[in-house]
Amino acid sequence: MSKSNRRIGVIINYACVLLSLVFFYFGKYNGWTDMMTVVTILVLVSALVSFVVLHIKTHLWRLVHTRADKLDERQIQVTHESLRYAYGIFSVISLLVLLVIALLAGENDSMLILIFASLLYLAHTLPSSIIAWTEKEV
Amino acid sequence: MKTRRIYNRISVLREERGISRKELADEIGVNFQTVGYLERGEYNPSLDLAFKISEFFKLPVELVFSTTPLKPLSQEILEQRNKMRG
Repeated sequence: MSKSNRRIGVIINYACVLLSLVFFYFGKYNGWTDMMTVVTILVLVSALVSFVVLHIKTHLWRLVHTRADKLDERQIQVTHESLRYAYGIFSVISLLVLLVIALLAGENDSMLILIFASLLYLAHTLPSSIIAWTEKEV
Repeated sequence: MKTRRIYNRISVLREERGISRKELADEIGVNFQTVGYLERGEYNPSLDLAFKISEFFKLPVELVFSTTPLKPLSQEILEQRNKMRG
């Protein structure tokens, strides 16, 4: 699979996941119609198919879930780089979701903003804490 | 960190010896795709891997890898011979 096709696969897969979330949200608050059920099932099937084609058939799923000692040095470099980006992107998305929930909750649940602040601190300090814990000299 | 490109003769040496990428990969303990990356100069090997590859071809590491574009081996041998003759 070419790089451009893989990129299209990534966009389709995440778009399907996002769309299914939107449909479930509207379904929950506005009720399910037959049409919406069919479209949601189609979107979920598309998400599953794009996942299989993009992650399983290309062996990328196996690559990022294999222990480092089973990979060669280039594969380790590639997976470490991808994990570095994934960590950053996942942290930003999770924290933004938590921030929105905390702001919507307002004074009803002031603990949420404290949890948000703690996780924001943890996301920024965890990598250097691990280096501090493991490295002989820094 | 920006690294320099490391040039190599892996594809020439491999074809000269009539071995496939898969066979070379198995001998040096990497995935066969990594051999492709090395041959195209899209991945710089570690010092350990560079030595493994040189040892496999039974050649000094400087004949297999270089930081400057490599001349054809025949030209290099001719130049070495001329240098030895003075």
